[in-house]
Amino acid sequence: MIETLRTLAPLAWRNIWRNPRRTIITLIVVAMGIFSILIFAAFLRAWADSSRDRVLTLMTSSIQIHARGFLDDPTVKHLFEQPSGPLAEALDHPDIAHWAPRLLFPAIVQSEYRTLPVTLVGVDPAREATISVIPANVIQGSYLSGRQDVRIVLGDKNLARLKTRLGKRVVVLAQAADGTLAERGFEVGGVFSGDSEIEGQFAFVALDTAQDMLGTGNKLAEIAIQVPDPDKLPAVVQALRKAAPDLDIRTWKELSPMAAAVDQMMGLIVYVWLWVMFVLMAIGIVNTQLMAVFERIHEFGLMQALGMRPRMIVGIVALESGMLVGLGILIGMGAAAFLISALSGGVDISGFAEGAAMIGAGTMLYPELDPPQIIQLSIVVWVLGVLVALWPARKAAKISPVEAMTHVS
Amino acid sequence: MCPDTKEATTPGADAPENDSIVVCRNLEKHYRQGAIQVPALRGVDLEIHRGDFATLAGPSGSGKTTLLNMIGGLDYPSAGEIIVDGQDLRALTKSDLAEMRLRKIGFVFQAYNLIPVLTAAENIEFILRLQGVGSRERHERARAALADVGLEGLEDRRPSHLSGGQQQRVAVARALINRPAIVLADEPTANLDTQTAGGLIDLMADLNARHGTTFLMGTHDARVIARSRRHIELTDGRISGDELRNT
Ligand SMILES: Nc1ncnc2c1ncn2[C@@H]1O[C@H](COP(=O)(O)OP(=O)(O)OP(=O)(O)O)[C@@H](O)[C@H]1O
Ligand SMILES: [Mg+2]
Repeated sequence: MIETLRTLAPLAWRNIWRNPRRTIITLIVVAMGIFSILIFAAFLRAWADSSRDRVLTLMTSSIQIHARGFLDDPTVKHLFEQPSGPLAEALDHPDIAHWAPRLLFPAIVQSEYRTLPVTLVGVDPAREATISVIPANVIQGSYLSGRQDVRIVLGDKNLARLKTRLGKRVVVLAQAADGTLAERGFEVGGVFSGDSEIEGQFAFVALDTAQDMLGTGNKLAEIAIQVPDPDKLPAVVQALRKAAPDLDIRTWKELSPMAAAVDQMMGLIVYVWLWVMFVLMAIGIVNTQLMAVFERIHEFGLMQALGMRPRMIVGIVALESGMLVGLGILIGMGAAAFLISALSGGVDISGFAEGAAMIGAGTMLYPELDPPQIIQLSIVVWVLGVLVALWPARKAAKISPVEAMTHVS
Repeated sequence: MCPDTKEATTPGADAPENDSIVVCRNLEKHYRQGAIQVPALRGVDLEIHRGDFATLAGPSGSGKTTLLNMIGGLDYPSAGEIIVDGQDLRALTKSDLAEMRLRKIGFVFQAYNLIPVLTAAENIEFILRLQGVGSRERHERARAALADVGLEGLEDRRPSHLSGGQQQRVAVARALINRPAIVLADEPTANLDTQTAGGLIDLMADLNARHGTTFLMGTHDARVIARSRRHIELTDGRISGDELRNT
């Protein structure tokens, strides 16, 4: 076997270069195919990571606790008591890094000029900073300083919409726990940047201030929980559900099905794309190898006459295909690895930001070099390429030496 | 080896079996061309003996190439018997035939005998590689074989950088490298000019004399026939003449 390979390899290699132009075209086709597959896979991965990270680090976190009914009707009607007893113990779970209490409610924010509906979030600023990146993303003024802070933090986008500025006052209107309309003035104390969806939807006030304004007492609308190890997520959820069977406890996958779907479907999408590209490559490979075989009918007849078995003829053509496809793959792999490394600092897709936010990604994608995936995809394409090239190879082996020898080209 | 033993025997007659490299009995070959059958060989009885230097002549279409192909195991006969070096070829599979050709037959065709991407030496070594001969021995034998046909110093040339005569010499050297039972040459001189053709036939006669290699050559070339020591005539797929000649 090794000896056969040693015999055939140099022959195959030289045969590839008998028609350099055709070989180079085939190499380009294969290289571009694998390049596009790898780049596509890297960007898809980056997109999935980005939408997942966005879910995990902006608002949703890994797990959320609500009162039953809150997700369908997110108002003060569906609140729950501050954790105590078994739930408080469950929140001490070693796999929970942090958690933060929130009071979310629909509200109207009024400036001198405009009125805007938002989701107002009452937060414990110190805890919020441990589970969300928003407190760190304050671009003007400062984030809330404590649970009694009386200022409001708006998104950059809403600041512009309200035509207001840092230090100005806005009025917040919301339905209180007793059904009356609560109203309260806030000074704009800080402006955060997130992505446009988050900036447009949320505004933050201190938790005690919000509870006081709505008259909810100590009640909460949400607890957001950070579980750093994704493998531990199911166990943690189970523990929490057991501790608080009356509450609605969900993971980010249930809360953001789109991001979860992207995360899960990614492998499949990559393989669909791989097949599409592979069909194009296969046409190139088969075409090249068929031409290469038809040009050498006499030669294959000669080799058989000299005592080469048909199987070895298949072997030599397959080897040529293997080298050709392999070389193309190496070139495409190299180019893709180079581009991905060059872009790993981040690609700004804010040009498509609106669309990107809609499908759940941030404005920056960070494609990462994933050598095992690159190698796996390349091997798949290589094996498939050699397999389709077996067709021309078998054609070569079927050439009858007698007929081939009279076929003088 | 020793020409006198051969001349003592009558061609095709009852020579001892172990002295017969090739035995054909009532050999027939029909080609199918659409609906009609083209008879190419119609009952050939022939024995080739060890050390023969024989030519096979006859008008175009008389079946020379067909007969050489049958003996070389490149195709199966339609009927009759064919034994090469004691082996009944009809009993062999395609793969066995390939092995038989590798070990026992040397071919020299009219042209395009060499694998174009391999050098002269590599073309010869190729056979040895297929036979599993080790690299050192391969190199030495290929060099020696090229020297034997007067191509010293041209080992590393590709066929495209060799003249037609040189290419045929490489083909002869290759045909001999496996120490074959018989060398089958189909019009080996047809593409060569007179002088080069003369050189090639001299070479083959010389190799036959020195190594005792058995040659069977299909040819129209009168000068080749003139050098042969046994001459076989084929007409319409039948042997029409078989005579020994003296050099
Ligand atoms: N592959 C084939 N298919 C059909 N008929 C064939 C085939 N090969 C040879 N023949 C026919 O068989 C007969 C013998 O052909 P062959 O080639 O053996 O003759 P030849 O003596 O070698 O002729 P030439 O001197 O022209 O080379 C011819 O009638 C030829 O047309
Ligand atoms: Mg012929």
